[in-house]
Amino acid sequence: MTKDTLLKPALAAAAVGLVLWGGLPLLRHRRFDVPVVKGPGVTAVLRLSEFSPGLEGTVADTNVYVLEGREPGGKVLLMGDTHSNEPEGMLTAVIFVENARVEKGTLYVIPFFNNSASRNTRAGDGYPLYFDIATDWGAQRFRFGNRDASPLDQWPDPDVYIHYPERQLLSYIDVRNTNRTWPGRANGPLMEKVTFGAMELMRREKVDVAIDIHGAETMFPVTNCIVAPEKSVKIATLASLTVKAAEGFENHVEPSPAGFRGLSHREIGDHGPSLPFLLEAPIPFLDQPTGPKTVKLLLDGKDPFLLSLSKKKKLFVPYDESGWSLEKRVGQNLSVSLEILRQFTKKTADRAITVRGVPRYAEVVKAGVGHFLADPAKAPAGDVVMN
Amino acid sequence: MIMIAYYVITAFLLVLVVWNFVREKERRQDLVLYLLVAVPLLLRLLRWK
Repeated sequence: MTKDTLLKPALAAAAVGLVLWGGLPLLRHRRFDVPVVKGPGVTAVLRLSEFSPGLEGTVADTNVYVLEGREPGGKVLLMGDTHSNEPEGMLTAVIFVENARVEKGTLYVIPFFNNSASRNTRAGDGYPLYFDIATDWGAQRFRFGNRDASPLDQWPDPDVYIHYPERQLLSYIDVRNTNRTWPGRANGPLMEKVTFGAMELMRREKVDVAIDIHGAETMFPVTNCIVAPEKSVKIATLASLTVKAAEGFENHVEPSPAGFRGLSHREIGDHGPSLPFLLEAPIPFLDQPTGPKTVKLLLDGKDPFLLSLSKKKKLFVPYDESGWSLEKRVGQNLSVSLEILRQFTKKTADRAITVRGVPRYAEVVKAGVGHFLADPAKAPAGDVVMN
Repeated sequence: MIMIAYYVITAFLLVLVVWNFVREKERRQDLVLYLLVAVPLLLRLLRWK
Protein backbone atom coordinates (compact mmCIF):
# COMPACT_ATOMS: atom_id res chain seq x y z
CA MET A 1 0.00 0.00 0.00
CA THR A 2 1.26 3.46 -0.84
CA LYS A 3 1.30 6.44 1.45
CA ASP A 4 -1.63 7.94 -0.47
CA THR A 5 -3.87 4.90 -0.14
CA LEU A 6 -3.30 4.94 3.59
CA LEU A 7 -3.97 8.66 3.86
CA LYS A 8 -7.75 8.62 3.40
CA PRO A 9 -8.47 5.86 5.96
CA ALA A 10 -6.12 7.54 8.43
CA LEU A 11 -7.82 10.92 8.04
CA ALA A 12 -11.29 9.35 8.28
CA ALA A 13 -10.25 7.51 11.45
CA ALA A 14 -8.96 10.79 12.92
CA ALA A 15 -12.28 12.48 12.13
CA VAL A 16 -14.24 9.65 13.77
CA GLY A 17 -11.94 9.95 16.78
CA LEU A 18 -12.62 13.67 16.91
CA VAL A 19 -16.38 13.07 16.82
CA LEU A 20 -16.15 10.52 19.64
CA TRP A 21 -13.79 12.64 21.75
CA GLY A 22 -15.89 15.77 21.40
CA GLY A 23 -19.33 14.22 21.18
CA LEU A 24 -19.48 11.50 23.82
CA PRO A 25 -19.09 13.87 26.82
CA LEU A 26 -21.93 15.95 25.38
CA LEU A 27 -24.09 12.85 24.95
CA ARG A 28 -23.39 11.76 28.54
CA HIS A 29 -24.24 15.26 29.81
CA ARG A 30 -27.51 15.22 27.87
CA ARG A 31 -28.46 11.89 29.43
CA PHE A 32 -27.27 12.68 32.97
CA ASP A 33 -30.17 12.76 35.43
CA VAL A 34 -30.17 14.64 38.73
CA PRO A 35 -31.80 12.94 41.74
CA VAL A 36 -34.13 15.01 43.89
CA VAL A 37 -35.44 13.56 47.15
CA LYS A 38 -39.11 14.10 47.89
CA GLY A 39 -39.10 16.08 51.12
CA PRO A 40 -41.60 15.86 53.98
CA GLY A 41 -43.97 18.30 52.28
CA VAL A 42 -44.20 16.69 48.84
CA THR A 43 -47.67 15.24 48.24
CA ALA A 44 -47.50 14.55 44.48
CA VAL A 45 -45.17 14.75 41.50
CA LEU A 46 -46.84 15.76 38.23
CA ARG A 47 -45.47 16.28 34.74
CA LEU A 48 -45.79 19.60 32.95
CA SER A 49 -47.23 17.70 29.98
CA GLU A 50 -50.38 17.17 32.04
CA PHE A 51 -51.00 20.87 31.41
CA SER A 52 -49.47 21.07 27.93
CA PRO A 53 -49.97 17.71 26.14
CA GLY A 54 -47.60 18.67 23.32
CA LEU A 55 -44.69 18.19 25.74
CA GLU A 56 -45.39 14.51 26.35
CA GLY A 57 -42.49 12.31 25.31
CA THR A 58 -40.16 15.26 24.68
CA VAL A 59 -37.02 16.29 26.56
CA ALA A 60 -38.79 19.55 27.44
CA ASP A 61 -41.29 17.76 29.70
CA THR A 62 -40.37 18.25 33.35
CA ASN A 63 -41.41 17.40 36.91
CA VAL A 64 -43.80 19.56 38.90
CA TYR A 65 -43.55 18.90 42.65
CA VAL A 66 -46.73 19.56 44.58
CA LEU A 67 -46.54 20.40 48.30
CA GLU A 68 -50.10 20.60 49.56
CA GLY A 69 -50.55 22.01 53.04
CA ARG A 70 -52.65 20.58 55.87
CA GLU A 71 -55.00 23.56 55.60
CA PRO A 72 -56.30 25.19 52.43
CA GLY A 73 -54.95 28.59 51.46
CA GLY A 74 -53.22 30.35 48.61
CA LYS A 75 -51.20 28.72 45.85
CA VAL A 76 -47.67 29.43 44.68
CA LEU A 77 -45.61 28.37 41.67
CA LEU A 78 -41.81 28.41 42.06
CA MET A 79 -39.61 27.95 38.98
CA GLY A 80 -35.86 27.40 38.74
CA ASP A 81 -33.63 26.78 35.69
CA THR A 82 -35.68 28.97 33.37
CA HIS A 83 -32.13 29.80 32.37
CA SER A 84 -30.05 26.72 33.08
CA ASN A 85 -26.77 28.62 33.34
CA GLU A 86 -28.16 30.35 36.45
CA PRO A 87 -28.18 27.37 38.86
CA GLU A 88 -29.09 29.40 41.97
CA GLY A 89 -32.70 29.23 40.78
CA MET A 90 -32.70 25.46 40.41
CA LEU A 91 -30.95 24.97 43.79
CA THR A 92 -33.42 27.27 45.51
CA ALA A 93 -36.27 25.21 44.07
CA VAL A 94 -34.62 21.90 45.07
CA ILE A 95 -34.14 23.16 48.64
CA PHE A 96 -37.86 23.99 48.76
CA VAL A 97 -38.77 20.51 47.49
CA GLU A 98 -36.46 18.69 49.91
CA ASN A 99 -37.10 20.81 53.04
CA ALA A 100 -40.41 22.65 52.93
CA ARG A 101 -43.37 21.70 55.11
CA VAL A 102 -46.48 23.56 54.01
CA GLU A 103 -48.98 24.35 56.74
CA LYS A 104 -51.41 26.46 54.72
CA GLY A 105 -51.85 26.60 50.97
CA THR A 106 -50.10 24.72 48.18
CA LEU A 107 -46.68 25.02 46.57
CA TYR A 108 -45.98 23.92 43.00
CA VAL A 109 -42.23 23.70 42.36
CA ILE A 110 -40.54 23.18 38.98
CA PRO A 111 -36.78 22.96 39.61
CA PHE A 112 -35.81 22.26 35.96
CA PHE A 113 -38.21 24.53 34.09
CA ASN A 114 -36.23 24.49 30.83
CA ASN A 115 -35.19 20.86 30.99
CA SER A 116 -33.84 20.94 27.43
CA ALA A 117 -31.57 23.91 28.23
CA SER A 118 -30.26 22.12 31.30
CA ARG A 119 -29.04 19.35 28.93
CA ASN A 120 -27.43 21.89 26.58
CA THR A 121 -24.10 23.70 26.97
CA ARG A 122 -22.19 26.66 25.54
CA ALA A 123 -19.02 25.06 24.25
CA GLY A 124 -17.77 28.30 22.69
CA ASP A 125 -17.65 29.95 26.11
CA GLY A 126 -15.92 26.96 27.71
CA TYR A 127 -18.82 26.19 30.01
CA PRO A 128 -18.32 23.26 32.40
CA LEU A 129 -20.80 20.43 31.87
CA TYR A 130 -21.34 19.72 35.58
CA PHE A 131 -20.76 21.22 39.00
CA ASP A 132 -20.52 19.49 42.36
CA ILE A 133 -21.96 20.80 45.61
CA ALA A 134 -20.24 19.65 48.80
CA THR A 135 -22.82 18.24 51.21
CA ASP A 136 -22.77 16.65 54.67
CA TRP A 137 -22.81 13.19 53.01
CA GLY A 138 -20.48 13.77 50.02
CA ALA A 139 -20.79 15.70 46.79
CA GLN A 140 -23.91 16.02 44.72
CA ARG A 141 -23.44 16.51 41.00
CA PHE A 142 -25.69 18.73 38.91
CA ARG A 143 -25.85 19.44 35.18
CA PHE A 144 -24.72 22.90 34.20
CA GLY A 145 -26.79 23.98 31.23
CA ASN A 146 -27.24 26.89 28.90
CA ARG A 147 -29.56 29.88 28.69
CA ASP A 148 -31.42 28.43 25.71
CA ALA A 149 -32.96 25.07 24.90
CA SER A 150 -30.93 22.61 22.87
CA PRO A 151 -31.30 22.85 19.09
CA LEU A 152 -31.58 19.05 19.24
CA ASP A 153 -35.05 19.58 20.68
CA GLN A 154 -36.15 22.66 18.75
CA TRP A 155 -34.62 23.32 15.35
CA PRO A 156 -34.20 25.42 13.22
CA ASP A 157 -34.25 28.94 14.66
CA PRO A 158 -36.17 31.53 12.68
CA ASP A 159 -34.44 34.67 11.33
CA VAL A 160 -36.51 36.69 13.80
CA TYR A 161 -38.67 35.36 16.64
CA ILE A 162 -42.15 36.84 16.38
CA HIS A 163 -43.59 36.80 19.87
CA TYR A 164 -47.03 35.28 20.40
CA PRO A 165 -49.53 36.91 20.78
CA GLU A 166 -48.07 40.45 20.71
CA ARG A 167 -46.11 39.92 17.46
CA GLN A 168 -43.15 41.89 18.84
CA LEU A 169 -39.94 41.10 16.95
CA LEU A 170 -37.36 39.47 19.21
CA SER A 171 -33.91 38.02 18.63
CA TYR A 172 -33.93 34.74 16.67
CA ILE A 173 -32.34 32.86 19.57
CA ASP A 174 -35.13 33.84 21.96
CA VAL A 175 -37.37 31.25 20.34
CA ARG A 176 -35.45 28.80 22.58
CA ASN A 177 -35.43 31.08 25.64
CA THR A 178 -38.20 30.26 28.13
CA ASN A 179 -38.04 33.79 29.45
CA ARG A 180 -39.13 35.19 26.09
CA THR A 181 -41.76 32.65 25.06
CA TRP A 182 -44.39 33.49 27.67
CA PRO A 183 -47.38 33.10 27.64
CA GLY A 184 -46.82 30.41 25.02
CA ARG A 185 -49.35 28.38 23.05
CA ALA A 186 -50.36 24.73 22.91
CA ASN A 187 -49.27 24.25 19.29
CA GLY A 188 -46.31 26.64 19.14
CA PRO A 189 -42.58 25.86 19.12
CA LEU A 190 -41.50 23.51 21.93
CA MET A 191 -40.44 26.27 24.34
CA GLU A 192 -43.82 27.99 23.87
CA LYS A 193 -45.38 24.67 24.87
CA VAL A 194 -43.29 24.77 28.09
CA THR A 195 -44.46 28.24 29.09
CA PHE A 196 -48.00 27.41 27.98
CA GLY A 197 -47.91 24.43 30.38
CA ALA A 198 -46.97 26.69 33.28
CA MET A 199 -49.66 29.20 32.29
CA GLU A 200 -52.26 26.42 32.16
CA LEU A 201 -51.14 25.19 35.58
CA MET A 202 -51.58 28.70 36.99
CA ARG A 203 -54.95 29.18 35.31
CA ARG A 204 -56.41 25.77 36.21
CA GLU A 205 -55.11 25.67 39.78
CA LYS A 206 -55.78 29.38 40.37
CA VAL A 207 -52.23 30.07 41.46
CA ASP A 208 -51.88 33.34 43.39
CA VAL A 209 -48.13 33.93 43.26
CA ALA A 210 -45.55 32.93 40.62
CA ILE A 211 -41.85 33.26 41.40
CA ASP A 212 -39.32 32.79 38.58
CA ILE A 213 -35.78 32.56 40.00
CA HIS A 214 -32.76 33.75 38.02
CA GLY A 215 -29.21 35.05 38.28
CA ALA A 216 -27.86 38.12 36.46
CA GLU A 217 -24.48 39.63 35.66
CA THR A 218 -22.93 42.09 38.11
CA MET A 219 -22.46 44.49 35.15
CA PHE A 220 -26.16 44.30 34.26
CA PRO A 221 -28.34 46.94 35.93
CA VAL A 222 -31.23 44.53 36.53
CA THR A 223 -29.48 42.46 39.17
CA ASN A 224 -29.82 41.88 42.88
CA CYS A 225 -33.49 42.68 42.62
CA ILE A 226 -37.09 41.63 42.27
CA VAL A 227 -38.63 42.44 38.89
CA ALA A 228 -42.35 43.05 39.28
CA PRO A 229 -45.19 44.45 37.18
CA GLU A 230 -47.71 46.95 38.50
CA LYS A 231 -49.95 44.30 40.11
CA SER A 232 -47.07 42.80 42.15
CA VAL A 233 -45.04 45.88 42.93
CA LYS A 234 -46.41 46.60 46.42
CA ILE A 235 -45.61 43.12 47.69
CA ALA A 236 -42.23 43.18 45.94
CA THR A 237 -41.35 46.51 47.55
CA LEU A 238 -42.34 45.34 51.02
CA ALA A 239 -40.40 42.09 50.57
CA SER A 240 -37.33 43.93 49.31
CA LEU A 241 -37.32 46.47 52.13
CA THR A 242 -37.91 43.78 54.76
CA VAL A 243 -35.05 41.51 53.72
CA LYS A 244 -32.75 44.51 53.43
CA ALA A 245 -33.58 45.67 56.95
CA ALA A 246 -33.95 42.32 58.68
CA GLU A 247 -31.35 40.18 56.90
CA GLY A 248 -28.81 42.76 55.82
CA PHE A 249 -28.39 42.10 52.11
CA GLU A 250 -28.98 44.55 49.29
CA ASN A 251 -32.11 44.08 47.22
CA HIS A 252 -34.27 46.44 45.23
CA VAL A 253 -37.31 46.42 42.95
CA GLU A 254 -37.22 46.91 39.19
CA PRO A 255 -40.43 47.62 37.29
CA SER A 256 -41.42 45.14 34.60
CA PRO A 257 -41.46 47.10 31.32
CA ALA A 258 -44.88 46.90 29.65
CA GLY A 259 -43.40 47.19 26.16
CA PHE A 260 -40.95 44.29 26.39
CA ARG A 261 -42.86 41.11 25.69
CA GLY A 262 -42.34 37.45 26.42
CA LEU A 263 -40.88 37.74 29.91
CA SER A 264 -42.41 35.85 32.83
CA HIS A 265 -42.74 38.98 35.01
CA ARG A 266 -44.83 40.61 32.26
CA GLU A 267 -46.88 37.88 30.59
CA ILE A 268 -47.83 35.78 33.66
CA GLY A 269 -49.66 38.74 35.14
CA ASP A 270 -51.17 39.87 31.83
CA HIS A 271 -52.48 36.45 30.79
CA GLY A 272 -53.42 34.77 34.07
CA PRO A 273 -54.54 35.26 37.62
CA SER A 274 -51.12 35.11 39.31
CA LEU A 275 -48.93 37.86 40.71
CA PRO A 276 -45.54 37.41 39.02
CA PHE A 277 -42.13 38.05 40.57
CA LEU A 278 -38.75 37.47 38.95
CA LEU A 279 -35.77 37.25 41.29
CA GLU A 280 -32.27 38.15 40.15
CA ALA A 281 -29.18 37.35 42.23
CA PRO A 282 -25.75 38.52 41.01
CA ILE A 283 -23.76 35.70 39.36
CA PRO A 284 -20.23 36.78 38.35
CA PHE A 285 -19.83 33.67 36.17
CA LEU A 286 -22.17 35.23 33.59
CA ASP A 287 -20.25 38.48 33.25
CA GLN A 288 -18.27 38.79 30.02
CA PRO A 289 -14.96 40.23 31.30
CA THR A 290 -13.98 37.41 33.65
CA GLY A 291 -11.24 34.81 33.68
CA PRO A 292 -11.97 31.24 32.54
CA LYS A 293 -15.50 29.96 33.10
CA THR A 294 -14.59 27.41 35.73
CA VAL A 295 -16.66 25.57 38.33
CA LYS A 296 -14.72 27.49 40.98
CA LEU A 297 -15.88 30.81 39.51
CA LEU A 298 -19.42 29.47 39.37
CA LEU A 299 -19.32 28.46 43.04
CA ASP A 300 -17.34 31.25 44.73
CA GLY A 301 -17.96 34.12 42.31
CA LYS A 302 -14.43 35.44 42.81
CA ASP A 303 -12.79 37.06 39.79
CA PRO A 304 -9.84 39.50 39.68
CA PHE A 305 -11.13 41.31 36.58
CA LEU A 306 -14.49 42.02 38.17
CA LEU A 307 -12.69 43.15 41.31
CA SER A 308 -10.74 45.64 39.24
CA LEU A 309 -13.93 46.83 37.53
CA SER A 310 -15.61 47.17 40.91
CA LYS A 311 -12.87 49.53 42.05
CA LYS A 312 -13.63 51.62 38.96
CA LYS A 313 -17.32 51.57 39.91
CA LYS A 314 -18.36 49.69 36.79
CA LEU A 315 -20.52 47.11 38.57
CA PHE A 316 -24.10 47.43 39.73
CA VAL A 317 -23.52 45.51 42.98
CA PRO A 318 -21.02 45.80 45.82
CA TYR A 319 -18.10 43.48 45.00
CA ASP A 320 -14.93 42.76 46.99
CA GLU A 321 -12.38 39.96 47.53
CA SER A 322 -15.09 37.72 48.99
CA GLY A 323 -16.77 37.49 45.54
CA TRP A 324 -20.41 36.57 45.28
CA SER A 325 -20.75 32.97 46.34
CA LEU A 326 -23.44 30.45 45.46
CA GLU A 327 -24.40 30.41 49.14
CA LYS A 328 -25.18 34.13 49.07
CA ARG A 329 -27.13 33.82 45.83
CA VAL A 330 -29.23 30.85 46.91
CA GLY A 331 -29.68 32.34 50.40
CA GLN A 332 -30.97 35.58 48.92
CA ASN A 333 -33.39 33.77 46.65
CA LEU A 334 -34.73 31.70 49.55
CA SER A 335 -35.19 34.68 51.84
CA VAL A 336 -36.80 36.85 49.17
CA SER A 337 -39.15 34.02 48.12
CA LEU A 338 -40.20 33.39 51.72
CA GLU A 339 -40.66 37.11 52.30
CA ILE A 340 -42.87 37.46 49.21
CA LEU A 341 -45.06 34.65 50.57
CA ARG A 342 -45.20 36.31 54.00
CA GLN A 343 -46.13 39.70 52.55
CA PHE A 344 -48.77 38.11 50.30
CA THR A 345 -50.24 36.31 53.33
CA LYS A 346 -50.35 39.56 55.33
CA LYS A 347 -52.18 41.28 52.50
CA THR A 348 -54.53 38.41 51.59
CA ALA A 349 -55.32 36.52 54.77
CA ASP A 350 -57.99 34.30 53.17
CA ARG A 351 -55.35 32.96 50.74
CA ALA A 352 -52.62 32.48 53.34
CA ILE A 353 -49.50 30.49 52.47
CA THR A 354 -47.45 29.25 55.42
CA VAL A 355 -44.22 27.35 54.78
CA ARG A 356 -41.85 25.94 57.42
CA GLY A 357 -38.47 24.24 57.24
CA VAL A 358 -36.91 26.34 54.47
CA PRO A 359 -33.61 28.00 55.47
CA ARG A 360 -33.05 31.71 55.06
CA TYR A 361 -30.05 33.75 53.91
CA ALA A 362 -27.92 33.68 57.07
CA GLU A 363 -28.38 29.92 57.57
CA VAL A 364 -27.37 29.09 53.98
CA VAL A 365 -24.35 31.42 54.06
CA LYS A 366 -23.23 29.84 57.34
CA ALA A 367 -23.91 26.15 56.65
CA GLY A 368 -23.59 26.05 52.85
CA VAL A 369 -26.06 25.05 50.17
CA GLY A 370 -25.10 21.37 50.43
CA HIS A 371 -26.17 21.20 54.07
CA PHE A 372 -29.78 21.50 52.90
CA LEU A 373 -29.58 18.84 50.18
CA ALA A 374 -30.88 15.36 51.03
CA ASP A 375 -28.86 12.20 50.42
CA PRO A 376 -30.58 10.17 47.67
CA ALA A 377 -28.79 7.00 48.89
CA LYS A 378 -30.46 7.24 52.29
CA ALA A 379 -33.92 8.21 51.05
CA PRO A 380 -36.69 5.59 51.24
CA ALA A 381 -37.36 3.68 48.04
CA GLY A 382 -39.68 5.62 45.79
CA ASP A 383 -38.76 8.98 47.29
CA VAL A 384 -35.99 9.73 44.80
CA VAL A 385 -37.18 11.39 41.61
CA MET A 386 -34.80 11.65 38.68
CA ASN A 387 -34.75 14.91 36.78
CA MET B 1 -42.07 18.88 9.99
CA ILE B 2 -39.53 21.63 9.42
CA MET B 3 -37.15 19.97 11.91
CA ILE B 4 -37.36 16.70 9.96
CA ALA B 5 -36.67 18.62 6.74
CA TYR B 6 -33.55 20.11 8.31
CA TYR B 7 -32.31 16.65 9.32
CA VAL B 8 -32.87 15.46 5.73
CA ILE B 9 -30.89 18.47 4.44
CA THR B 10 -28.12 17.70 6.94
CA ALA B 11 -27.96 14.08 5.80
CA PHE B 12 -27.86 15.20 2.17
CA LEU B 13 -24.98 17.60 2.86
CA LEU B 14 -23.12 14.88 4.71
CA VAL B 15 -23.49 12.52 1.76
CA LEU B 16 -22.15 15.24 -0.55
CA VAL B 17 -19.15 15.87 1.70
CA VAL B 18 -18.35 12.17 2.04
CA TRP B 19 -18.77 11.68 -1.71
CA ASN B 20 -16.32 14.51 -2.38
CA PHE B 21 -13.92 13.04 0.15
CA VAL B 22 -14.02 9.65 -1.58
CA ARG B 23 -13.62 11.15 -5.06
CA GLU B 24 -10.81 13.57 -4.21
CA LYS B 25 -7.51 12.30 -5.63
CA GLU B 26 -5.07 15.16 -5.61
CA ARG B 27 -5.56 17.92 -3.06
CA ARG B 28 -4.74 16.60 0.39
CA GLN B 29 -5.77 19.82 2.13
CA ASP B 30 -9.27 19.42 0.68
CA LEU B 31 -9.52 15.96 2.23
CA VAL B 32 -8.96 17.51 5.65
CA LEU B 33 -11.45 20.28 4.97
CA TYR B 34 -14.17 17.80 3.88
CA LEU B 35 -13.75 15.90 7.14
CA LEU B 36 -13.83 19.05 9.26
CA VAL B 37 -17.07 20.10 7.58
CA ALA B 38 -18.49 16.62 8.17
CA VAL B 39 -17.91 16.69 11.96
CA PRO B 40 -20.78 19.06 12.97
CA LEU B 41 -23.11 17.46 10.44
CA LEU B 42 -22.38 14.04 11.90
CA LEU B 43 -22.79 15.29 15.49
CA ARG B 44 -26.20 16.71 14.62
CA LEU B 45 -27.35 13.55 12.80
CA LEU B 46 -26.26 11.44 15.77
CA ARG B 47 -28.17 13.92 17.99
CA TRP B 48 -25.13 14.39 20.20
CA LYS B 49 -24.74 18.16 19.68
